Amino acid sequence: MRLRAYFRLVVIATAIGSLLYAFQRGRRSFMDEEDNPAPFPSDGFEKTEFAFARLRYQPMRNGYYGRAGGSWATDYPKADRQFVQGVRRLTRIHTRSVEQVVDLESDEIFNFPWVYATEVGRWDLKEGQVKKMREYLLKGGFMMTDDFHGTFEWDVFMASMQRVFPDRPVVDLENKEEIFHVLYNLDDKFQVPGIQMFYTGRIYEQDGIEARWRGIHDDQGRLMVAICHNMDLGDAWEWADHPRYPEKYASLAYRIGVNYIIYAMTH
Amino acid sequence: MFEFFFHYPRTAFSKGEVVLLAGMPVWVLGLLVVVAAAGLAWVMRLRMPEAAVGIKGWRPAVIWVLQSAMVTLVLVLLWKPALLISELKPQQNIVAVVVDDSRSMAQADVGKSRRAQAVEALEGGLLKGLEKKFQVRLYRSGAALQRINKLEELKSEAPATRLGESLKQIAAESAGLPIGAVLLLSDGSDNAGGIDLETVAELRSRRLPIHTIGFGKERAERDLEISDVQVAPRTLADSRLAAQVSFHQSGYAGQKAKLTVKDGGKVLASQMVTLAPDGKQQSETVLLNSGTAGAKTLSFTLEGLTGEENGLNNAVSRLVNVESGKRRILYIEGEPRWEFKFIRRAKEKDRAIQLVSMLRTTQNKIYRQEIENPSELLEGFPSRVEEMLGYHALVIGSVEAGYFTAAQQELIKQFVDRRGGGLLFLGGRSSLSDGGYGQSALTDLLPVTLPDRKGTFQREPAAAELTPAGADSLICRLVEEPGRNTERWKKLPALADYQDVGAPKPGAVVLAGMTVGNRTLPLLITQNYGRGRTAVLATGGTWRWQMSQALEDQTHEMFWQQLMRWLAAETPGRLVSSTPQQILFDNGRLVMNAEVRDRNFLPAADARVEARILGPEGLAAQVELRPDAANPGSYQMEWEAEKTGSYLVEVMAKRGEEEMGRDVLTFQRQDGVAENFRTNQNKELLEKLSAQTGGEYWRPSDLEKLAREISYSEAGITVRQTKDLWNMPVVFLLLLLLRGSEWILRRKWGAV
Repeated sequence: MRLRAYFRLVVIATAIGSLLYAFQRGRRSFMDEEDNPAPFPSDGFEKTEFAFARLRYQPMRNGYYGRAGGSWATDYPKADRQFVQGVRRLTRIHTRSVEQVVDLESDEIFNFPWVYATEVGRWDLKEGQVKKMREYLLKGGFMMTDDFHGTFEWDVFMASMQRVFPDRPVVDLENKEEIFHVLYNLDDKFQVPGIQMFYTGRIYEQDGIEARWRGIHDDQGRLMVAICHNMDLGDAWEWADHPRYPEKYASLAYRIGVNYIIYAMTH
Repeated sequence: MFEFFFHYPRTAFSKGEVVLLAGMPVWVLGLLVVVAAAGLAWVMRLRMPEAAVGIKGWRPAVIWVLQSAMVTLVLVLLWKPALLISELKPQQNIVAVVVDDSRSMAQADVGKSRRAQAVEALEGGLLKGLEKKFQVRLYRSGAALQRINKLEELKSEAPATRLGESLKQIAAESAGLPIGAVLLLSDGSDNAGGIDLETVAELRSRRLPIHTIGFGKERAERDLEISDVQVAPRTLADSRLAAQVSFHQSGYAGQKAKLTVKDGGKVLASQMVTLAPDGKQQSETVLLNSGTAGAKTLSFTLEGLTGEENGLNNAVSRLVNVESGKRRILYIEGEPRWEFKFIRRAKEKDRAIQLVSMLRTTQNKIYRQEIENPSELLEGFPSRVEEMLGYHALVIGSVEAGYFTAAQQELIKQFVDRRGGGLLFLGGRSSLSDGGYGQSALTDLLPVTLPDRKGTFQREPAAAELTPAGADSLICRLVEEPGRNTERWKKLPALADYQDVGAPKPGAVVLAGMTVGNRTLPLLITQNYGRGRTAVLATGGTWRWQMSQALEDQTHEMFWQQLMRWLAAETPGRLVSSTPQQILFDNGRLVMNAEVRDRNFLPAADARVEARILGPEGLAAQVELRPDAANPGSYQMEWEAEKTGSYLVEVMAKRGEEEMGRDVLTFQRQDGVAENFRTNQNKELLEKLSAQTGGEYWRPSDLEKLAREISYSEAGITVRQTKDLWNMPVVFLLLLLLRGSEWILRRKWGAV
């Protein structure tokens, strides 16, 4: 009886220890916030050079859609896992098969110099987060934003972004920008729609009729923030395997994603 | 005292030859000594039974030794010992009296100047004593030797002392004049690099003894003097330069002094130094920024302290040619990595380095950055010599050895060995052991012996730390003060990954290590290879130093800029000019060498090398360098810079119409500066000079016997003298001692 009690104690202690270890190693689980669950690959714990880092931020309260939680996790984790398969296949980047969720609460983000933030038309960065974001970007971090549409969401995005960089303008990226040529030549870009087009028949959302490729540069002219406005690359990655989702959108979304990563790893 | 016992001065014995004048051969003397000793022994043995009770055991042997010694001494005296010595013939020889007339002789050590002390010594009887026996010629020695008629002509104004040159001139004069000896009155402060072996050999061949009289304190009571400054004569713009300043002091031990480096009026660096004990050489490293391109004269000054006897030896200047050209580094990376990005960013602020990179983004695509034209590296990694040799350094990232063809591997070897380029290997998934370098031709270039296994690269954190060698290295200097620098390294964020690169090869230097668990592995290892240098940085994870430290922290940038400059700055061009002495003190003789290489960086013996010299007043000369037949590719010239000031030499090498290379060299002529240094009496030099030429070193207070002893010389017109030795008081004393000792012992032992 006593032996059994000891055995239970050891099992519980091991379980708690393992959880703590996993937490410390950045393996926080966000299963309850998953938008579109995907299988966890067998090599998901591999240590690699690059991991798809998804920014977990606090959403705007009382937002336009009335949905006030989990916008950071839109398409998560299926889009992430499906996209990195492409990164692995198309490039020589040693890439982890599983994404990494990072936030602006801890310094963990500094270990991931490329970060993806989706639905930033709903974000609302707090003062400490703004400071950390600015520091992250100026040190050499790179942020790609996606899946926000129209004037209202732009304004919401900018409300936080302008606090990160009050003096740096957001500029429309011309075709000659290096980010569009670092691997694939992306002179012919077009709007990449989300799956809402299945229901609405439109490739744009809200009043975001025209896709905008924008960015914020640092003092040396390097892009720190690549802003994909009025498009939904995340959906294109997520639904690339869907028979009804057009290949041309998925292909472009992959090429853009790959270029943005390689640009971030070279500039 | 010596002369009392031995009848003649010590010099006579050291210069003369002891001979036996009796007609009988010396072997007979030896035989008689043996027979006498044996006879004494035989007689003593016969008489032993009758001997007194006290004479037994070892005592008879003592008696025998004393008696044998006495018999031997008597026998030697019978053979008429004598001293054969050459002496200068009275009134037929010249004694050259050379007085140092340089500025240092004006220094007042003991209330009066050294010159006044010398004049006093000469007028106090020395000159008269010499004039009784010899003709005396007076000379003064400054930049050259000059004859004078009277001592009043001494002014101590010569800006330089060239004792070697003066003595060489005396030796030359002695060929036509009966100069029997030289008397040199000096403080020994020679600022032309001492007295060369050639001069000493000439004086010895003429058997001309140099007697020296030393003036001045052997050590100043209160003085601070910079003895040397070592700094690279050429560097890149905005480079960090390390200058090694050596100095010594007396009278200020433990005090603090301010060491300042200036370029014109601009202070480049300044630091306080604590002075070491009296007379002890100490050196301090000063770090400074080279600034913009151009020829610079840096002055290094130790601020004077209260009561210093000589304030003119606290500053020295050095020339540094800050080059404007860029150094091109080729960085090949086999896969996109954060390290690649952050190295590029770290280098960006360094305008003197151009980091040309080629990155394999996909299996068949290469992304090129900072290329000079669209065709550069278009075909991939260079495979032609001229293409490869256009770079000054090469960085190999996570690239398998097999990516390079055998010819390319050979090219990389030549690049380091023959071209003199720098080569850095970075740790990575496909680097070093994991990339198959252990089995490749490139393994020779590595400063480490790679482990014979795979899996040496691990994506686990590692903590970097400096080794003692790294603490002295400019590559690893993140904070100027060495102690704080070591501490700074300990506080660096962990590296993102590490690679076990095995053990350093003999001759390699480990500048930094890293701790992984309880193991310590080498992190940064460097070595010289051929004309170039190679290094291994066993990680691909220094980028965390950038991302995980404060935004304003410059550690990562500084480390990489310094490592890149170490890799590329020293890589020579096709024409390299040099001079053994950049600052010519009181002498305008410039010696310049040039080394010329062809397109393949092989020595070019058929070049035409010309130097265009721009002096303080514009173009001074155009001189062609002559090839050195014994050393293909080397060219030399000598030229006289007549005016003081700074000179710039533009050197150009041509082969037919093809220009092979250009280089710029700076030098300076300074007159009257060197004389302010090493002003203490250089007794060592004077003693050595006397000893090497058969003369003697004298103190000014001990000159009574000089006039007599100077006559023992083999130079000039001499007469061979034979001096009896039998009548030396020491002989009689010895006889008395031997006999007396025997008597006392016999009495003590009851035999008398």
